[in-house]
Amino acid sequence: MPDLTAARAALGRLLAAGSDPGAYLSRADRPGRRPAVGYVCSYVPEEILLAAGLHPVRLGARPGPVGPADSSLQSFACSFSRACLDGLLSGLGGDLAGVVFAYTCDSLRAAAEIWKTRRPAGSFYHFLNLPARLDGPGSARYTASAFRRLAGDLASVDGARPVSAAGLAAAARLTAAVRGGLARLAEVRSARPDLLPGSAFLAAARGATVVDREEGAADLIAAATVLEAAAAGSEPARTGRRRILVSGGFLETDEPVHLIEEAGADVVADDLCLGARWLSLPDTAAGDAREDCPAGDPGSGPCPSPLAADPFDRLAQAYLARVPCPAKHPPGPRFDFVRREAEARSVDGVVFLLQKFCDPHAFDYPDLAALLAASGRPSLVMEIEQGGLTHGQARTRLEAFVERLRAGRSAAGTGCGAGTAGTAAGTRTGPTGRGAGKGAEGR
Amino acid sequence: MTTLLPDNRLKTDRDLKGLILKHYLGAYRAKGVLARRPVAWVTSGAPVEPLLALGILPLYPENYGALVGSRKAAVPYCEEAERAGYSLDLCSYARTNIGSMLARRGELRGRPLPPPDLLVTAKNICGVVVKWWEVTARHFGCPLFVFDTPFAADGLHPEQTAYVRDQLEELVVFASRASGHRLPPRARFEADLRKVLELTREATALWNEIQDLRQSRPTPASALDMFTNLFPIVTLRGTEACVEYYRRVRDELAERVRQGVAAVPGERYRLVWDNIAIWYNFDLVRYLHARGAAFVGETYTDAWGVYDFDTRDVSDPLRTLAEQYSLILLNVGLGIRKERLFRMVERQGADGVVFHSCRSCKTYSLGQYELARAVRGELGLPVLVIEADMADSRAFAEGPTRTRVDAFLELLEARS
Ligand code: SF4
Ligand code: SF4
Repeated sequence: MPDLTAARAALGRLLAAGSDPGAYLSRADRPGRRPAVGYVCSYVPEEILLAAGLHPVRLGARPGPVGPADSSLQSFACSFSRACLDGLLSGLGGDLAGVVFAYTCDSLRAAAEIWKTRRPAGSFYHFLNLPARLDGPGSARYTASAFRRLAGDLASVDGARPVSAAGLAAAARLTAAVRGGLARLAEVRSARPDLLPGSAFLAAARGATVVDREEGAADLIAAATVLEAAAAGSEPARTGRRRILVSGGFLETDEPVHLIEEAGADVVADDLCLGARWLSLPDTAAGDAREDCPAGDPGSGPCPSPLAADPFDRLAQAYLARVPCPAKHPPGPRFDFVRREAEARSVDGVVFLLQKFCDPHAFDYPDLAALLAASGRPSLVMEIEQGGLTHGQARTRLEAFVERLRAGRSAAGTGCGAGTAGTAAGTRTGPTGRGAGKGAEGR
Repeated sequence: MTTLLPDNRLKTDRDLKGLILKHYLGAYRAKGVLARRPVAWVTSGAPVEPLLALGILPLYPENYGALVGSRKAAVPYCEEAERAGYSLDLCSYARTNIGSMLARRGELRGRPLPPPDLLVTAKNICGVVVKWWEVTARHFGCPLFVFDTPFAADGLHPEQTAYVRDQLEELVVFASRASGHRLPPRARFEADLRKVLELTREATALWNEIQDLRQSRPTPASALDMFTNLFPIVTLRGTEACVEYYRRVRDELAERVRQGVAAVPGERYRLVWDNIAIWYNFDLVRYLHARGAAFVGETYTDAWGVYDFDTRDVSDPLRTLAEQYSLILLNVGLGIRKERLFRMVERQGADGVVFHSCRSCKTYSLGQYELARAVRGELGLPVLVIEADMADSRAFAEGPTRTRVDAFLELLEARS
């Protein structure tokens, strides 16, 4: 067995920060001790916050029952937005110099508006007013203008510095290092889940959105280096486990992924907000060294279209080009991504982890499940609330699903909660487990 | 339910039935062999005026959802959608329509809505309609236009207006292409558009006059009159028929005011309603009526009074569209919503506010707890929060709701 001590230590630090951001932020030895600004959506460019000399912290929900948010937000707001608001109202908001919300969906927009009126006096608030549509002729220009507004507004945070082109370029290099480290870990997760289980990968990703980014990049790169060497020098310890792609939103805890792993499958790929969708962000720092890559030259390989010279335009290009969130239009690129990723990672089946009351994911689910079923990949849909699986028999259902995958692809489309089978002309056949697998209860 | 009063219906209600029938039959005819007119499925906040100027017939699935809901027929369609994998937590208008679309049956003489030639959705009312229209586009293999209106929390920034306005330009090209028409010459299109805008503006002005007439004591129209009378301003906006109809309603209400006719005989309390109607349960409103509580305003019906286009700006008719469609009730922040609600309470002389917390409609409902707190704390008025859904009757609990209504009535009584 290769020696993974150094990787474990690095990943352990990330896991600890990710599971308790409040504790990490109040540490006296927090590197840099720059003012921390929370943000709530992966479309908020960390690059701008870093360039303003701030410490970006991705807000997630802490698991557990909802407290003070209960009297502000009805129970049918998605549990993620409720828990985000709850975390802020119950104290995290005080540890932060401010919060940046972004237009994502109706639930988060409401949480933002409520926080705006409830936040402590002097706490910075910004609503990053992003487009919902990514393919319009004006989408890039409008996105860049929203980014510029954010940069301008941040100047009012105590201890912030003006956002400059040089600052943005340095921030882009730093975020590229973080995402690059994570992308390497994602490769290990896919090739050798016995060395790096999917749950550990997600914990590292969550931590990477909380820790000081220099520290985080160093830990991610250290862990990736050790794990890659270990993978090269050893044989897989386990065989016969099924390969799963999980699809969903942010995932506040690793519990659902743990349960899949315990049921006898490896989570080797994802379509998550905190995972592959975020990592798909093109590297805007690469544009600095583009002289050797003449855009438009057919011989120059995978050279993307020329990046804009203006740093905000360039950031906007990148954020429009990433694998989109289901709350963005058009949905096609995400559908394509999930299908291709499932194929490329030799996935046997897909588990949809639907955040309860999340409209964007719930609308996409039936057609996406049908698309996967058409390529022989069955799926299971489970509902997540407050970080955990709500279904009473989650474990049993997962075990039955993994069993089905073992029995072979021919069984696709049968059993409670299985992904849909038929796809012809929009008619779907096959049971689908009543939407998000909740059944008739809850009404 | 023995205490219900007989309906004190407006005479114009009879004409309304005809209008609705004519609208939907016209849509089937448009798809017939002889009269081919392109049909667009649009959302209630879609900029319909350019489509009308291009000769396209708009159909409103949300209105269809309300129609099915008011016939208490939504549940089987919702279940159909749920069986296909659509979560029962999704908007019940969406589930009703998706269910009807998948099952290929509906409430218009058994038929579903006539299929669209093109789809136009607008984010100004919610994110739901973007996703719902995507599902529809995949189902029919139909071209889809998403009109993206950034959130106007405290109003509009210039770059927002520009972004939205440019999309209107794009919409015109999209719609003429998708409907198989040639793009008309610019001057002709703008002239046609201005005519439509003028008709919308006229209907809106009449609608606002109607709302103003409700300031009278007793009010000549209550929530049920207004909910049913929404149909033309939602679905026939921009047509002569709409303007004519509201002229008649306005005249009838003015006459009621002159003669002192009350919508709710024995009016004792004046209330404001927030959120969509509970279409399958008008009895709840009748129950309030029977106890002397009349509705003198609804944020929901009031929301249609915003299409006050500035038709004098002849240089750029698309600009006024971009602004008005960005500033509709569901696309502004809680601050503006609170202001509008307070203004309505004051103007209409209301004694309390009823909030329908509608689990289908997050964009309308989330934030209501803050508004309710403000009404109670800042205006000192009693509020009632009803947890329900506008079309899916499974989300309505009769007993607990009645208890809350009674407690609310007691509060009103104690204050009077
Ligand atoms: S999980 Fe869904 S509903 Fe919740 S914040 Fe994310 S996109 Fe919005
Ligand atoms: S979510 Fe609300 S605004 Fe959107 S379609 Fe449903 S009822 Fe209408």
